[in-house]
Amino acid sequence: MTSKLKRSIIAWLLLAPLIVVTLFPFAVMFLTAVKPRQEVLSPTWWPSEFRWSNFSDMWVATGFGQALLNSLYVSVIATVGAILISVPAAYAMSRFRFAGYGALRQFLLISQMISPIVLVLGLFRLMAAWGLVESTTALGFIYMAFNVAFTVWMLQSYFDTIPRDLEEAAWMEGAGRWLTLRKVFLPLCLPAIAVTAIFTFINAWNEFVVALTMLRSQESYTLPIQVFSLVAGRYTIEWHHVMAATLLATAPVAILFIWLQRYLVRGLALGAVK
Amino acid sequence: MQNRFLPYLLTLPSLFLAAVVIFWPVWDLIQISTHDVSRFGQLRDFNDFANFAALTADPDFMAALWRTGQWTVMVVGGALLLSIPVAMILNTDFYGRGIARVIIMLPWAVSLTMTAVVWRWALSGESGMLNSALIGLGLIDHNIQWLASAETAFPMQVLIGILVTVPFTTTIFLGGLSSIPDDLYEAAALEGATPLQQFREITFPLLKPFINIAIVLNTIYVFNSFPIIWVMTQGGPANSTDILVTHLYKLAFRIGKLGEASAVSLVMFAILLVFTMIYVRLAMREQRT
Repeated sequence: MTSKLKRSIIAWLLLAPLIVVTLFPFAVMFLTAVKPRQEVLSPTWWPSEFRWSNFSDMWVATGFGQALLNSLYVSVIATVGAILISVPAAYAMSRFRFAGYGALRQFLLISQMISPIVLVLGLFRLMAAWGLVESTTALGFIYMAFNVAFTVWMLQSYFDTIPRDLEEAAWMEGAGRWLTLRKVFLPLCLPAIAVTAIFTFINAWNEFVVALTMLRSQESYTLPIQVFSLVAGRYTIEWHHVMAATLLATAPVAILFIWLQRYLVRGLALGAVK
Repeated sequence: MQNRFLPYLLTLPSLFLAAVVIFWPVWDLIQISTHDVSRFGQLRDFNDFANFAALTADPDFMAALWRTGQWTVMVVGGALLLSIPVAMILNTDFYGRGIARVIIMLPWAVSLTMTAVVWRWALSGESGMLNSALIGLGLIDHNIQWLASAETAFPMQVLIGILVTVPFTTTIFLGGLSSIPDDLYEAAALEGATPLQQFREITFPLLKPFINIAIVLNTIYVFNSFPIIWVMTQGGPANSTDILVTHLYKLAFRIGKLGEASAVSLVMFAILLVFTMIYVRLAMREQRT
């Protein structure tokens, strides 16, 4: 027992510098968000009182509600669309043998590595040609397309882990492919679909550069762009509002992510590494 | 026979979408970069790759290219050097390991944009909380204008880059470490191997495939990373913290040099493709074994 205690102390001491640096921005974010306005610019750490009304002030002053709705709208389109399109593909790749399988899988692996930033100029020109700049719906569809390779890949790595025996048993009993799919296969992979959907949602929720390029007026801003616009090119920055907005926009998604992070790794990185 | 076409039918929509969102913009970029473009964006004559030639003559581009190399090597290398010991510590059994893991994973859970916004505030010269913390600890005696010059801004951006890359890298290594059987270490300890020898002879060789994957994946992500630099300094002051992505964004959407911007895009796309090919070969090789 004492050896474990000793080990724990050494482990925490070794990790301490990294932990301090990691927690530092979170402390800055939280403490600034709850500081009274006149204390924000004075270099003290601890606020004289916790001003929770900063959050409601910020909500009104920055148009947080509209940006939140835009972010939700875009992320839901991306998530629902990507899942609907990629479940059949992942099912086919997991359960059928067909020519071109290897090439398709390689293509998916390559295309999920292509970051939108190198294509953003082309995308912008295409959207402009169609008159779709400013359209949050179009943005949702762009996110959907960029996430499809990731969702197919993730779903297939999960589908591959579901044993075929159950489906084969259902076929023996005389159930057709479609019935087996609905009654046996889909219920089994529902958790995998949910996890993949949540990661797609988070990807869309956090995306910066495409949104920055496509969305030009405040009514269409998503949260990252809205928060960025509070900081960029302004003479006076209301930092307590900015930090309150950052905190509100970040916390729910961060909690989801921490909770589900191990599934992401299993599906993505280690799905490739094995 | 219905079954022969079914898999193609099922995969086609995904394949189509994933392909169209890449190839359509790429086709457009090829068009603009190799033709003269009028002020209204109309294509004129083929221009003999003048835009690509212009890039090599542009000192800003060459500086950004060089800085991208520094940025990528330092962030990927730094994250690697930090993540191996962190993963080894987290792989041992100690009190509060769960909490330590969650804390170290936190930066991964927050979007880069938000992280960069917070750091921009924390590094502010007059009232930033990093300055007040460092003064409070007695490490510095006057405020440092962190983001006012590249000498302090760029190293800070690299540090933040490392910090947000550590969680992903650590997770990959934790996966690798958990696949090493404990009896290897027990046998080595019985033979009298020192911890350093155990690391050199057991941990490092068995971790190597994971290190390779981490290097290639991180290189791809870091090379493309836009929000940290854009939010904190927008490549400034005077383009002194520009990397290729921020340079590209300015060319395209600030200055409006579409031809050169699309040439930069294509150069980056090609570099990205090379790294991705390396990754695919690594990943597929691991999968076969």
